[in-house]
Amino acid sequence: MLLRLRALLLWPAVLALAATGFWWSARSHEPPPTPGRKLLTWVHFVSPLRDHYEKQVAEFQRLHPDIEVRLILVPMSEYHMKFKTLAAAGQAPDLFYSGDVWMSYLLPFMRDLTPLVERDAAEIGLDDFFPEIRAALQHEGRYYVMPEHANVALLYYNRSLFRAAGVPEPTADWTWDDLVRAGVTLTRPATADDPGVWGCGRLEGWWGEWLTYVRQAGGAVFTPDGRRCALDSPEAIAGLRFFQDKALRHRFSAPAGYEPLNGFVNSRLAMLMVGHVSYWPNYNQIPDLDWDVQLLPIGPASRSGGELAIAGYSISRHTRHPEEAWMLLKFLTRPAAALEVMRHGTISPRRSVAAVQVGERRAGDRPRQVAAAYEQIQYAQPIPRHPYYIEIMLQIVQPEIDRMVQGELTPEQAARRATDGVNAFLATFHGTGP
Amino acid sequence: MATSVSEWRQSYAAVNHSLTLVATPGSTTYDPMNDRRAQAFWFWLFAGPAVAGFLLFSAGPMLHSLWLAFCNYDVVAPPQFIGLRNFAYLLFHDPAFWPSVQVTLVFTAVQVPLAVASALGVALLLNQPVKARGLWRAIFFLPSILPQAASVAVFVYIFQADGGLLNRLLALAGVTGPAWTTSPAWALPVIVLISLWGFGYPMVVFLGGLQNVPRELYEAAHIDGADAWGRFRHVTLPLISPVLFFNVVMGVIGALKVFDLAYAFGAAQGLIPGGPARATLFYGLNLYQQAFTYFHMGLASAMAWLLFAVIVAITWLNFRLSRRWVHYGD
Repeated sequence: MLLRLRALLLWPAVLALAATGFWWSARSHEPPPTPGRKLLTWVHFVSPLRDHYEKQVAEFQRLHPDIEVRLILVPMSEYHMKFKTLAAAGQAPDLFYSGDVWMSYLLPFMRDLTPLVERDAAEIGLDDFFPEIRAALQHEGRYYVMPEHANVALLYYNRSLFRAAGVPEPTADWTWDDLVRAGVTLTRPATADDPGVWGCGRLEGWWGEWLTYVRQAGGAVFTPDGRRCALDSPEAIAGLRFFQDKALRHRFSAPAGYEPLNGFVNSRLAMLMVGHVSYWPNYNQIPDLDWDVQLLPIGPASRSGGELAIAGYSISRHTRHPEEAWMLLKFLTRPAAALEVMRHGTISPRRSVAAVQVGERRAGDRPRQVAAAYEQIQYAQPIPRHPYYIEIMLQIVQPEIDRMVQGELTPEQAARRATDGVNAFLATFHGTGP
Repeated sequence: MATSVSEWRQSYAAVNHSLTLVATPGSTTYDPMNDRRAQAFWFWLFAGPAVAGFLLFSAGPMLHSLWLAFCNYDVVAPPQFIGLRNFAYLLFHDPAFWPSVQVTLVFTAVQVPLAVASALGVALLLNQPVKARGLWRAIFFLPSILPQAASVAVFVYIFQADGGLLNRLLALAGVTGPAWTTSPAWALPVIVLISLWGFGYPMVVFLGGLQNVPRELYEAAHIDGADAWGRFRHVTLPLISPVLFFNVVMGVIGALKVFDLAYAFGAAQGLIPGGPARATLFYGLNLYQQAFTYFHMGLASAMAWLLFAVIVAITWLNFRLSRRWVHYGD
């Protein structure tokens, strides 16, 4: 009798347990918003600007007591996986970190901001943004991102090492040949007592540096219609060859595994191509590091080619509170906030803030030539607008470039292998096959 | 025991009979057919949750992934049937697929013998009557309970090209060490070395096998004039061959599925996962990248089924070959 009872009770108990588990995992763990307030969710990656963002949220909520903002911070390496998973589950945040680099990838989730931008153009100071930045914010003439800060590829250099080697500092009219000459002179081999100096660093693992050379040599990643890869053009191959020659022919570029940022801050790298403006505060924490920036050296076909990357915000296509999200977006990108972000060590997409930054320079401030960063914007280009750009570059192209720089492939072989791989990928996933 | 076996059998029959009566209303006699129904009832009662769990959480997703293997699916838009294009792309066009197969097979071919040999060697040592044997066993097992990511982070520091411990030591000897972790030639050997750190589990299995070898056989071999190698070759090895076979099979399956080691290796250095130049692009990592970084769920499903087929084939081959060298004492 007892066994029968147990048998009859066991299954309902198991089912009840399973149902409880499903219910527990399915229910939202987020507390509901305060009654009478609209809830806005904002997803951002974990950033050194976290305190700034939390202050912005508090200030915004003070000004708008009927809106509650919930800031969700996600590790950068998981940001896009988290975002896409939320979107697939129908829980896309109202506002999210984005930028021109990810625009094509995230476009299906972005709300077209054009009507709001045009309506509030005066209030947001649309004309205050650099024209190149305004252009980079758009996709087919429509706005999807509003900018908070920007990065532009530059030539970074260690003034002390230049002085010690008797090499004149880079100037705005430097060419690739000047870079090679200075790099070779600045390179000092390591000895038992001296760790040595490399003339220039080399960016590994992503496209920042080599794509600059490809573009400055007149090449491109894709054909103008974006349907085929164009890395096997003679111009693109010339750019790749320069990237390889820096290390293997002229031997002034640091070898594989030589971390360029460590090398630069330890005064073992005289120059760094491309770099990132967000590292400026780190450089400035090292008292003996006398560094500066200059425009990128001019390539054989063009001065243009360095990357322009804009960080900003977008509103979800399916947000339930588009007006409130737009209010928060305007608040986060207003000139006062841009000024605050600039002081944390970036360059601003706003001309007014740039003028303040340049005007505030005092003797001894580094970089001295901060104006060069803003001047470089006019020669900079955003990455190609392609939904698979990042995947294509990191998964298909970059490994071939890495092998090329190791000397395993010639530039022609690397370009051919990369082009074939990209075209096969596009044919399968982008419907551009024969 | 208060209850004898015969008493237990009687009570079991009574329970079965009472359940039979429950199952067939109106019946008052014992029926062998109904006895089978009672057995089925008991079977499903106890096996049911596991079977339901398997169907819901393993078989169901597996079948769904089999369907997705023939689709283009990015999680957001509905799956779009594309026939065999995922498989065709993987096998004939994907520049990452075959390199990832190669990396995984090379790793398996090198790591499994080394790991099994290391585990067996240490188990043989720890099976000797030494002082504080339990402590030594615990010490050798400890690395296995460390999180893989933590071990990798430490080893990456040791092998770092610029300022790493190993290269600093080499520099003291006047040797310039290579970029161990960022050179395509060295990165995989470094990962093999890191993976050998955690041989605790196979070591424990070997210890269990070694302790079951009868001492009389060693004494008989000794009397017959066998030296240490002879005793190991002709007594120990045949008698622990089932355990050795188990470790080889599990090692091969584990090596073919390596993911966390490779992922942590890239993450610890800020490399693209699988870098440099796909030198550490393990199959599992490639699959993860396709699924959860680029959301090519269809492609990733196709990769998963190919891996499944390969693991089944290799395991079957292992079992076939085991007939020649595994002795079960029958």
